[in-house]
Amino acid sequence: MKRPRFTSMLLLGPAAALFALLTIYPLGRVLILSFFMTEYGFEGATFVGGENYQYLLSDSFFQQATWNTISFTLMATVSEVALGLMLALMVSRRFPGRWLVIPTLIAPFVLSTMVVTAIWRAWFHYDFGFLNNLLRTISLSPVEWLFDPNLAMISLVLVDLWQTAPLTFLILLAGLQSIQPETYEAARMDGASPIQVLLTITLPLLIPHMLLAALLRSIDSFKIFDKVYALTGGGPGMATETLSMYVYKLGFKFFDVGLASTAAVVMIVVAGFLAAIYAVYIIKGRSRVA
Amino acid sequence: MKPPLEYVSLTIDLLPDAPTLAHYRQLIQDDIMGKVLNSLVVAFGSTFLALLAGFPAAYALVRLRLPKRLDTIFLLFVLVIKLSPPIVLAIPLYQVLRTLGLLDTLMGLILVYQVYALPFAIWMMIGFVRDVSVSYEEAALMDGAGLFARLVTVVLPIMMPGLIATSVFLLILSWNEFVYALLFIQTPSKFTLPTYIATLITEDETFWGRLAAIGFISSLPILALVGVVQKGLTRGFAGGLK
Repeated sequence: MKRPRFTSMLLLGPAAALFALLTIYPLGRVLILSFFMTEYGFEGATFVGGENYQYLLSDSFFQQATWNTISFTLMATVSEVALGLMLALMVSRRFPGRWLVIPTLIAPFVLSTMVVTAIWRAWFHYDFGFLNNLLRTISLSPVEWLFDPNLAMISLVLVDLWQTAPLTFLILLAGLQSIQPETYEAARMDGASPIQVLLTITLPLLIPHMLLAALLRSIDSFKIFDKVYALTGGGPGMATETLSMYVYKLGFKFFDVGLASTAAVVMIVVAGFLAAIYAVYIIKGRSRVA
Repeated sequence: MKPPLEYVSLTIDLLPDAPTLAHYRQLIQDDIMGKVLNSLVVAFGSTFLALLAGFPAAYALVRLRLPKRLDTIFLLFVLVIKLSPPIVLAIPLYQVLRTLGLLDTLMGLILVYQVYALPFAIWMMIGFVRDVSVSYEEAALMDGAGLFARLVTVVLPIMMPGLIATSVFLLILSWNEFVYALLFIQTPSKFTLPTYIATLITEDETFWGRLAAIGFISSLPILALVGVVQKGLTRGFAGGLK
């Protein structure tokens, strides 16, 4: 169907206008602002070249936030893929009550993040929380889940794990179900033990799905903001301050818009790097993964 | 589908606190209905806007002979948006909203949600438009239907199941959104549910009972939606197969 150019303009126009206003302009704006020093909010902007970048890279708070983000992303991604894999392997075979188990496992993923944090806030409670009660029943001393600097980050990972392991579980379950039954039969004919089958057939065939799950989770973990905001506020001290939290505090608490923009640009660059991996992955395996 | 919520109520039962509907009554005093209404307005508003702008764009990307490269550019673009943290765009978006005079308004929030809703809507609908056979449209063209008539009477009805699925995802997306709601809405009476829950969590004295009650209220629509869409989808597919 051939159509004049006017029609395509008409159809694409509204979406293009929204993109320009809400994404392209802000991206350009944040890039420009990152080279300016601002006094309060957007006032008194003076061009300082790369000075913000220099300052940022030597700023110990920024370094700490970067390190926290990296360690959170690594811990969350690895634990979520591992737990998802375990659950998928356990559920992949048919057993009575399976129809009930799968929705139960997926339930946390459907909840809003704020509801999830509220639930965990209760579980983390020092006196009444479910987790400390658990510790007491196995006669260990209760701990300050969110206020111990050594523990706070792990607590955040736990919350993230609980909420998003269902996603990795679903991806890996789909992966397991796409493996042909004949492959297993052939292995069994050759006298392979269940553990051999797992190590030499199931896991290698699942690697693409594990990579996809890890990639999706690392991208989301890198962005983490809402759980940190609601559970620890970045504290105690700087123990759970992530990059998103750092940008938020600079821009919306201290109104240092210039420096906040610089940090934002650094985040975009890192995200772009992850995006590149993802894009290569999609193009390579387009037929395999939805 | 509600075991996590039951867990919460278990922990709360450990507290020396009388149960029943007291928490819900407190919530009503807190103008909870107002917050639910705000959330509904924002969720439906941004979904409607995303479909309104996204459907023609998805159609154009599939059917019109556009330069091939536009597809790839669009794909990369969606990726970049999906990957960039919301906080990164927040500062310039704050300026955009202030210039438009939409700061601290639900309208502004609906607009800002398009950052994520629109690419997602287009992304999903491209697939559904592709599934609509061109021959239906050609038949309508023979009958002299213009582009607009074809879109409304042929393409939209056929892809209704897809449209419903897209809307459900968009509704959930906006219903749960937190960062922009936190940054761009200051007046408590305009809070959406997630920001309201956050104020309950972060206050020194955490209101467990109210939290559980509101968690229940805010999860209910999502669970209901997932149920509805399952039904709607199967019915739609069955209709298509006849």
